[in-house]
Amino acid sequence: MDKLVTLWEGSGLYNLELGQAAMIMVGLLLLYLAIYKKFEPLLLVPIGFGGILANIPEAGLAISALDQAIEVAKPAVLQQIAAALGATLDPLANAEAWRESLKVIAHDGVAPDQVRAARDIAVGVGYSDGMLYNFYKVAIGSGIAPLIIFMGVGAMTDFGPLLANPRTLFLGAAAQFGIFATLFGAVALTSMGVMDFSLNQAAAIGIIGGADGPTSIYVSSVLAPELLGAIAVAAYAYMALVPLIQPPIMRLLTTDKERQIKMTQLRPVSKLEKIVFPLMLLILVALFLPDAAPLLGMFCFGNLMRECGVVERLSDTAQNALINIVTIILGLSVGSKLMAESFLAFETLGILGLGIVAFGIGTAAGVLMAKLMNLVSKMPINPLIGAAGVSAVPMAARVANKVGLESNPHNFLLMHAMGPNVAGVIGSAVAAGVMIKYLG
Amino acid sequence: MQDLELLQEGLALMALGMGVVFVFLTVLVISVTLMSKLVGRFQPAPVAVDTGKKSSPSSVPSAQNDEVMAVISAAVHRYRSTRRR
Repeated sequence: MDKLVTLWEGSGLYNLELGQAAMIMVGLLLLYLAIYKKFEPLLLVPIGFGGILANIPEAGLAISALDQAIEVAKPAVLQQIAAALGATLDPLANAEAWRESLKVIAHDGVAPDQVRAARDIAVGVGYSDGMLYNFYKVAIGSGIAPLIIFMGVGAMTDFGPLLANPRTLFLGAAAQFGIFATLFGAVALTSMGVMDFSLNQAAAIGIIGGADGPTSIYVSSVLAPELLGAIAVAAYAYMALVPLIQPPIMRLLTTDKERQIKMTQLRPVSKLEKIVFPLMLLILVALFLPDAAPLLGMFCFGNLMRECGVVERLSDTAQNALINIVTIILGLSVGSKLMAESFLAFETLGILGLGIVAFGIGTAAGVLMAKLMNLVSKMPINPLIGAAGVSAVPMAARVANKVGLESNPHNFLLMHAMGPNVAGVIGSAVAAGVMIKYLG
Repeated sequence: MQDLELLQEGLALMALGMGVVFVFLTVLVISVTLMSKLVGRFQPAPVAVDTGKKSSPSSVPSAQNDEVMAVISAAVHRYRSTRRR
């Protein structure tokens, strides 16, 4: 009978907390959106599944050895850990109370060497880091996975349309206004007492407006790792929603006549220009904004491999096999941040709300910038391509093309929209560099 | 009071960030334009030759095109059938 009770007490059902159950439902919802609604399935399937894994009770897949020991170890071990952390446990309280207080102590204001000593004790008695925790540490904690994805994106990007019409870079710059307006919005909400975000957190939330998954993950892993789960989910979910979010804003801000503007044919771009461009971008980053070097450096490297034409194999690996492998690990790592304690908070709603505002403002800023450029330049610019300035390659460019076709079925804007689209990638990486420099 | 400071800091970061993004991309626009002109000056010929080459095959009689298509599809078909085994 005793054995049965132990078995029951060790079961998931017995230990399932309400929060964990809710997060498993969130994971299933993400899987539903990915599989049936085709929302960025390549990322939301691993993220959703990782979220479910991270919330399996007792398994502790997403927590460190120390946390695991605190959660399940015997009271004697708890006392050892408390001693290592320099804390005293109330001898009258029960083990559950000890666990609660140790959890707080271990994550708040203890010297790193004390945490390391406590961790050694936990490892010594046989606890180990959870699988997802390891994934997170290697892939995102070190910053590697988003950077490798960025390299793959570079290897997939054709800068031809941008080189043919460099002024579209301004559209990519204007659309980054979404990032900073949202940052300010998050700060304003904090000062009004609605939410509670630090400046770092506000910056990490703002970067959702860059509509660039790897950039969002990279920035939030540097500035606000505690919000990474919510930010990554918001970024990818809204990227999938670009075809729904953007068109109403684009129609609102343009007249039918403006939407019909035909743009001049793009000139052909020579191979040499395409080879020189990533190198030139790299040199400019090195000169002016070294903090954007990790992101843009990898991006330029990937693009150079694509354009130089002598390392087909490497370029092919970067844009296919490697990016797929890293996407799996990245997705699971992001999923590990979908733990009930951190995700089920009022702040998450705030992040989701601000994220969609960021997208909207970015789109509007891009469209308005295109209209402004139309006033001063001789070459006509269809304002719709301004909306492609939020990155979301190539979805945003396709949306611009589609809205353009609605007004004039013979006006194909896709290639013209690719220019601001890839400019948006550069723009959001630059914005990320500025924020990391300012706050990091 | 602290809230006001946070708000100011947010505003500063917004202005600085947008400023840097615009300045950087403006520099990029200028350098790309210059680079394209330089490349165009030193290497104008290949581009012209390329376009010339591309336009010439289109004038090939369609009968010959059909023949080429037939040969290619036969080759592809044979290649695929051998691969499957």
